[in-house]
Amino acid sequence: MIRMKKIAIVEDEPAIRENYIEMLSAQGYQVSGFADRASAEAEFKNALPDLAIVDIGLGHEIDGGFLLCQTLRSLSKTLPIIFLTARDSEIDTVCGLRMGADDYLTKDISLAHLAARIGALFRRMEALEQPADANALITRGQLTLDTQRMQVFWQQQLVDLTVTEFWMLHSLAQRPGHVKSRNELMSDAKIYVDDSTITSHVKRIRKKFIALDSAFDCIDTVYGMGYRWEQH
Amino acid sequence: MLRFGLRSKFILLSCFLFLLPWLGYEYVWEMEKFLRQGQEKTLVGTTRALATALHERPALFDEQTNFLDQVVKGRDLYAYNLKNPIQLDGKLTDWDSYQPLFWHYDKRYLQKTDNKHQASDLSFDHMVGKFDNYLYALFKVTDDTLIYRAKNSLSITNNDYLKIGLKTPGGQFNTYIIAPRQNGWVNAFDAKTKIPFTKIQGYFESTESGYNVELRFPINMLGNKLGFAIVDIDSKEALLEPKIMSTSNLNNPNDLGSVLVPSPEISRILKGMGHSGSRIWVVDNHHRVLAQTGTIQNADGVWADGFANKAPETWWQRFEQNYLHPIYYKILTRPENEFLDTLHDVASMQGTHLAKALKGQPASSWRLTPDSKAVILSAAYPIWIQDQVIGAVIAEETTNGVRTLRNKSLEKLFNVILAVMLIGTVTLFFFASRISSRIRRLRDTAEQAIDAQGRVTGSINYSDANDEIGDLSRSFSNIVSRLGGYTDYLENMSSRLSHELRTPVAVVRSSLENLQSLPQNELSQKYLDRASEGVERLGKIITTMSEATRLEQSIQSNEPEPFDLQKVINGCMQGYQLTYPNQLFALDVCQSKLPMQGAPEFIAQLLDKLINNALEFSKANTAINVSLKQSENKATLIVSNTGPALPEGLTEHIFDSMVSVRSQQMQQQPHLGLGLYIVRLVCDYHKGSVTAQNNEQGDGVVFTVSLPLHN
Repeated sequence: MIRMKKIAIVEDEPAIRENYIEMLSAQGYQVSGFADRASAEAEFKNALPDLAIVDIGLGHEIDGGFLLCQTLRSLSKTLPIIFLTARDSEIDTVCGLRMGADDYLTKDISLAHLAARIGALFRRMEALEQPADANALITRGQLTLDTQRMQVFWQQQLVDLTVTEFWMLHSLAQRPGHVKSRNELMSDAKIYVDDSTITSHVKRIRKKFIALDSAFDCIDTVYGMGYRWEQH
Repeated sequence: MLRFGLRSKFILLSCFLFLLPWLGYEYVWEMEKFLRQGQEKTLVGTTRALATALHERPALFDEQTNFLDQVVKGRDLYAYNLKNPIQLDGKLTDWDSYQPLFWHYDKRYLQKTDNKHQASDLSFDHMVGKFDNYLYALFKVTDDTLIYRAKNSLSITNNDYLKIGLKTPGGQFNTYIIAPRQNGWVNAFDAKTKIPFTKIQGYFESTESGYNVELRFPINMLGNKLGFAIVDIDSKEALLEPKIMSTSNLNNPNDLGSVLVPSPEISRILKGMGHSGSRIWVVDNHHRVLAQTGTIQNADGVWADGFANKAPETWWQRFEQNYLHPIYYKILTRPENEFLDTLHDVASMQGTHLAKALKGQPASSWRLTPDSKAVILSAAYPIWIQDQVIGAVIAEETTNGVRTLRNKSLEKLFNVILAVMLIGTVTLFFFASRISSRIRRLRDTAEQAIDAQGRVTGSINYSDANDEIGDLSRSFSNIVSRLGGYTDYLENMSSRLSHELRTPVAVVRSSLENLQSLPQNELSQKYLDRASEGVERLGKIITTMSEATRLEQSIQSNEPEPFDLQKVINGCMQGYQLTYPNQLFALDVCQSKLPMQGAPEFIAQLLDKLINNALEFSKANTAINVSLKQSENKATLIVSNTGPALPEGLTEHIFDSMVSVRSQQMQQQPHLGLGLYIVRLVCDYHKGSVTAQNNEQGDGVVFTVSLPLHN
């Protein structure tokens, strides 16, 4: 029998915490909830969960989530961490991702989308333990997408993308030259945000590619419509 | 409208400085009044001093006729002091300057009254004078028939002759006769003895209308009485009674007129006083001048001593003399030394002051010279001998000294006042300029602190000045910073609200979703759907609310990049045509490259908001006009639509945060008035501007975005 995945939810709002616990429990996860950083850290030192969903503001600590994330990262390099927060500012997003979070979601997200993301993260974890499956590879010029492991390679180099970013890139790269509107990108990435958030997601993806290859210009903005993957 | 700044008001106020010269002028006038009084007192003092020297000295007056009850002009003679010796030649040239002093004798002086007497029959002008030790007499006789003494005649009375009657100092009464045989030198005869008397010399000269006689005799033979008579015989044959015209009755010694010879003794005493700077007379109680010294032209008292006109030495004195004095003397009058003096060398004095003095009271009077050029001050003081006033001392001075003094002090005063006014005005001007510039600066900063849309753009740098303007600037700064805080609060309100609302919405949403996962009956499913729909909308609102804030944040962290505006606009417009296939778009977008520096996605967002706005308001089946043009180094994007006009006065405010101008029917979609605020944010980021206007017909709205291009 497969071991039940353990998910830890650190959230100071009891109603949300309970809802998430119940929803995820119903999905077959073993969920434990924590209201503050101290209790969560105490538990994590005993046993690490398989995935952590962390709110940034925890009780009196406005940045308690960030601190907790650092602690978690120090305990495990691979543990998937998802920030789920009411804060939607660009700075918080960047900050959270830089802390080593695997995804940064606002509380607007529906439970279904959250569940899909969690599922994806677990699948990736499992896939990473297995040999690469050639069938799951999509190659677009210098870009290689591993849909199984949810990994992206540019010129054989790994591009570290979050799940959301991977889904977006996947959506674009699936049909090169075809314009994907923001709404399509949103539904493909299983998020609901406004246009400017999509823009900043795309910008972040571009930046990550440009960090590897300064000549990268395959993600093209089609003003007024959306984005497309341009094959050179 | 005429506007008076602080500066002009200050200058107007400084006009009160012009009161200063007036005050000074008044003050100096007062001073002059006092000085005049002082001069009056001094002058009275001078006369008193001289009178003191003359009191109780009957010897000086004894020989004179002071004790007469009255003096009759013409009868009582006055020997004027002559300035030059008279040449006895029968000509009047020596006497020219004394012409006004001649006394005219006519029929009133006939010994026997004859009403039929004609002036051409007999009349004469006469004058006596004194020079050195001689008494001179002149007769200018008008006589129609001149009869000389016959050549061989012993008689001296059967012809026209001149009779002289006098009392010697010893009191003896003598009469003499001058009877000329021809023109030329003549001598007198003693009337009684008919012996020639050579002490009396004369010159006889006939003239067209009669004859002239000039006489001279030593003054020491003369007492205090003297008379002359002209005896006129008109025919040698007919023994007509001779006509006798005389100064006084020569037949009776008691009727003889007096003669006054200016006293040398008094003159000497006067001479000692001559240095007092006044003209001084001593007159007897018949107003006759006994002695005189000084001239009025130099008699300005001692007031102006030391004010001699010096040649200017320093530049200041030169400046004063060349530029200031001509101005001052437009107001001031310079006292003149050339003026008409009626009392020059008069024989008798008149005046209230003299009349008063002769009654025993010192007095003074002022008078203006006939030509109004000078004011003369006269003072008179009585001379007493044994409780009787026998004369008076009169001193006269002009007020020129005082006036010079006044002018000098006015000059100085004017200098000082001019300097004070100049400095005062300049100081006031600078003070006013400083104040008004400070206030203007404050006004400018206050105006700059809040822009045309009423937004607080910055804080005011308050001044540390410890005065009211400093206070004002501090309170302005305070107000602006509070206003800024308030505006900030308002602008951040939506983001704060969205943040605060997000958690409860998440609670509701997750609860609903959990509920959804449970089996529902039809009814509860319906309610669940409605609740989900509501939450969905709430979530949308929250997202919209935080859009502006997120944009602001991304603007802060965004690095500008070069892009082609035209490409962005064209691309977006294609997108809209695809997205809204039922909407007409009228495009007028320039196709040349419009390079800009900034963020293309922000521009797209801007256009998005403008198009959304136009879509929302435009009437059905009307086109939305979009035009993009280049003008110099600016790109102008115009989005216009037909539809309801903007309310008056709101055209600027629709770009503010959370301002929405929508009628109730249009409130189907949640609207927070952030769309146009985002437009403004993007414009500001690109250093451009955006305005909204109603179109000319008033049936639509025109948004004009102006963006600077980057070359």
